[in-house]
Amino acid sequence: MTQALSRILAIQNLVIKFSLRGRILTAIRDISLDLYKGESLAIVGESGSGKSVLMKSIMGLLDKNGYIDQGQIIYNNWDLTQFKTEQEWLAIRGKEVAMVTQDPMTSLNPLKTIGKQIEECVILHQCQKGRAAYLETLKLLKDVGIHDVEKRYRQYPHEFSGGMRQRIVIAIALACKPKILICDEPTTALDVTIQAQILQLLKHLQQKYGLTTVYITHDLGVVAKVADRIAVMYAGDIIEIGETHEIFFNAKHPYTWALISSLPQLGSKGEQLYSIKGTPPNLFQDIKGDAFAPRNPYALKIDFLERPPFFQVSDTHYARTWLLDPLAPQVQPPEALWAFFEEGRRYAHES
Amino acid sequence: MGMYSEEINNISHKSRETLFEFAVMDERQAEETAYSNYSYWRSTWKSFLKNRIAIFLLVGVLIIVTFTILQPYLPAQKSPTEIYLDEQTGLQARNIAPNAEFWFGTNSIGQDLWSRIWAGTRTSLLIGCVVALVEAIIGISIGTLWGFSRKLELPITQLYNIVDNIPTTIVLILMSYILRPSVSTIIIAMCITGWVEMARFIRNQIVILRDREYNLASKCLGTPDYRIIVKNLLPYLISVIMLRLSLAIPFAIGAEVFLTYIGLGLPISEPSLGNLINEGRVLMMSPELRYQLIFPSIVLSVITIAFYIIGNSFADAADPKNHV
Amino acid sequence: MSHKEVLVEVKNLKIAFGKGKHKFMAINDVSFTIFKGEIFGLVGESGSGKTTIGRAIMRINDVTEGQILYRGRNIHGKIAKSWDREITQKIQMIFQDPMASLNERAKVDYIISEGLFNTKNFKDETDRQQKVRAALLNVGLLSEFSSRFPHEFSGGQRQRIGIARALVMEPEFIIADEPISALDVSIRAQVLNLLASLQQQKNLTYLFIAHDLSVVRFITDRTAVIYKGKIVELAETERLFSNPIHPYTRALLSAVPEPNPYKERNKIVEIYDPAQHCYDRNPPSFKEIEEGHFVLANEEEMAEYQASLQMEVHK
Repeated sequence: MTQALSRILAIQNLVIKFSLRGRILTAIRDISLDLYKGESLAIVGESGSGKSVLMKSIMGLLDKNGYIDQGQIIYNNWDLTQFKTEQEWLAIRGKEVAMVTQDPMTSLNPLKTIGKQIEECVILHQCQKGRAAYLETLKLLKDVGIHDVEKRYRQYPHEFSGGMRQRIVIAIALACKPKILICDEPTTALDVTIQAQILQLLKHLQQKYGLTTVYITHDLGVVAKVADRIAVMYAGDIIEIGETHEIFFNAKHPYTWALISSLPQLGSKGEQLYSIKGTPPNLFQDIKGDAFAPRNPYALKIDFLERPPFFQVSDTHYARTWLLDPLAPQVQPPEALWAFFEEGRRYAHES
Repeated sequence: MGMYSEEINNISHKSRETLFEFAVMDERQAEETAYSNYSYWRSTWKSFLKNRIAIFLLVGVLIIVTFTILQPYLPAQKSPTEIYLDEQTGLQARNIAPNAEFWFGTNSIGQDLWSRIWAGTRTSLLIGCVVALVEAIIGISIGTLWGFSRKLELPITQLYNIVDNIPTTIVLILMSYILRPSVSTIIIAMCITGWVEMARFIRNQIVILRDREYNLASKCLGTPDYRIIVKNLLPYLISVIMLRLSLAIPFAIGAEVFLTYIGLGLPISEPSLGNLINEGRVLMMSPELRYQLIFPSIVLSVITIAFYIIGNSFADAADPKNHV
Repeated sequence: MSHKEVLVEVKNLKIAFGKGKHKFMAINDVSFTIFKGEIFGLVGESGSGKTTIGRAIMRINDVTEGQILYRGRNIHGKIAKSWDREITQKIQMIFQDPMASLNERAKVDYIISEGLFNTKNFKDETDRQQKVRAALLNVGLLSEFSSRFPHEFSGGQRQRIGIARALVMEPEFIIADEPISALDVSIRAQVLNLLASLQQQKNLTYLFIAHDLSVVRFITDRTAVIYKGKIVELAETERLFSNPIHPYTRALLSAVPEPNPYKERNKIVEIYDPAQHCYDRNPPSFKEIEEGHFVLANEEEMAEYQASLQMEVHK
């Protein structure tokens, strides 16, 4: 189904490295990813998986000590990896790609009214001035669900709660009329009741403006609500990618199994939750084979030697695990997931 | 979509079969962390070493200080206080320009300027270091109590307000009248008002640190206050304390020069950089005698600039954000 | 569940911050009991006051009105030195942020032994080292970690060091203030398992403060829901989740994201409007609506809730 949509961004064989105190850390180890127009892609991973780095590279926001070692990022016939000057990036940032970040407390300038902050972007990106810009700002504020917009226009960030500040940040992002909206953990710092509202808002805005949204998160619950496709990242690599129901109910990579099984919703009281032993690998060293192998209870000998390629599970579902190789032994996902997968199949059948 | 599964074709088919057996999982290997041997002090030192100028000046200062200490023990050194008589005339060897015998020349009453300058540097450095050290000890003690104890906060703040508002000059004048002018008088006078800056600075840092979660945790474990201060707070302050120390030394030396200018410094019999510069100041206008001003000024400038640059470079190096 | 021995009792607790005009009631008349051997959950959003309660029991915050009793004895205000020492050892806390709750400049060995040094709860140096090693192994860390510094470890490992620090004191009661909120998703399971198994092994009692309801459902025996300084509902955890009564609890539960895309997309989120109660004429009180299940309501609302409860039963 996603093949029918056109491709808006293509990342090809991307490698990103950081030089840290004299050593080289490989944050992104050869990733290829396609983004389709109008879809909602979620990138799931833990800290250190590289998900933020990947998105920052699309906007040219890598830290000073980071650089793109190999690969291309193709957008609109431009190769973003070749951009060297701030001037070139100005054509992309805001206009084409906008970002909503995690902490609304620090994303806003405390010394300016929020109206002015939104209006700045309207003037810059929509080439409107004066009254027209003011009206457009009010419209944006209404769009993101803020009431009493004339009064709110003149208020400062500290007069708003966390959830409302996040709405303002979203309004600023929209003021640029971008094609792609990247949301980096947009609700992690918010209360759960506000989180639901913000996610609802983002979904609504995506449909209204025809945006392509990318969600970066570690929360599978958030993903279940908003994503069409999911890419699971581990240690700088995409290890599984597919449509939402495929990843949730037909996952093939042991890391994805582990992620889903470790959710408390799947645990039974009085028993131990399924948990992954150990810690993510050291990215300063070259990783041989599958990065997840040392922690993988289903690891094969070849996992320590060769990096697995993407095996196809369906037209839209690919997983980077040797367990899908025809020579591999048949492996069942962990018991904790059987009931969950069953439930999923039932729902799929009904709908 | 562009993802292919043909990448594995380069491995031979036979060996592949054995590779598809389960591997034994080593739990210890899973738990081993990415050992980051980041040491704060090592990174600070490395960062400091990158600054060539600071290193150069540091070496220079060390050479000067060593030489100052060793100078009296070197051969053929003259006494700084002895008035030398001209061999031929039998009169005082006044205002002789630098020559082979008097390397830096003599001053207006016939004393050897070379040995006077090094004696003066010794005195000034002594004053500078002692004042900086005493200020630091008093300042840290009071600053820590001020920042940490809620009960003492108000009284110490009042004390600070009073002491801070008294002009330093007045205190120095008073001290000089009460006690006879000498090295210890100057040190005492400068310490009485100098601790205030350090105390305020330390207090601000402590106030920032005291409510952090790890201090809360220590309180919950029943750790007594003194141990929280010594083990939890002071280690974070070492770098800023060292910075302020290194800036306090030239400041104290400069203060001594200032005091001498207004006539409250050391007696002329005790050579110090302040005295020497003061003596040379009056001779500034006559070109032949200008050397009496130039030599001590150079020494003072070098020490002051060196300490400032070293201190600031150290502060930059000690900032963890610069450790990348 | 035969643990009817009362360990901690909070009675009509009121905590105010600030003075005069700027007085802010963070905790407004809260009462609950924690029994020995149970895991008691306290759930609320930011600003609800849950952390304040935890810190008040830990004696970090002062109490404005009301009492906190441990084993029947008051632990606030002026207390005997020996009792003070005893509760310092018996009540321990696990903090939220593993990056901020350890002293960066001290070795793990000192961090874990800090409490031992304070209470002198060891015979000699060898005994102390033995205790530290045992604590590290108990939380699943290697014993050689004691000579390293905190920055060398990941968030999950640092949190486990924090747990070891609390455990080495041999406490009875542990206040866990959002112990897993700052951790990565896969590490949360590790730490949760650890907390659950430690509770079993050592018969500990926990006050588990959290904002993530799915975690609370998994680990706690009873749960209290707190909203703006007042407890609005208290019940056995399963009962609370299967049959929430107070509208805030219902809103909170419906907002929790489900990891099931089909369910999540068709879900209707309930929104809580505090204005729906008219408490001016008829102030509410904390009443028992069925055994072990308490709700904050006035008479009118109580009648409504009981009616809906009857309908549930008859369904």
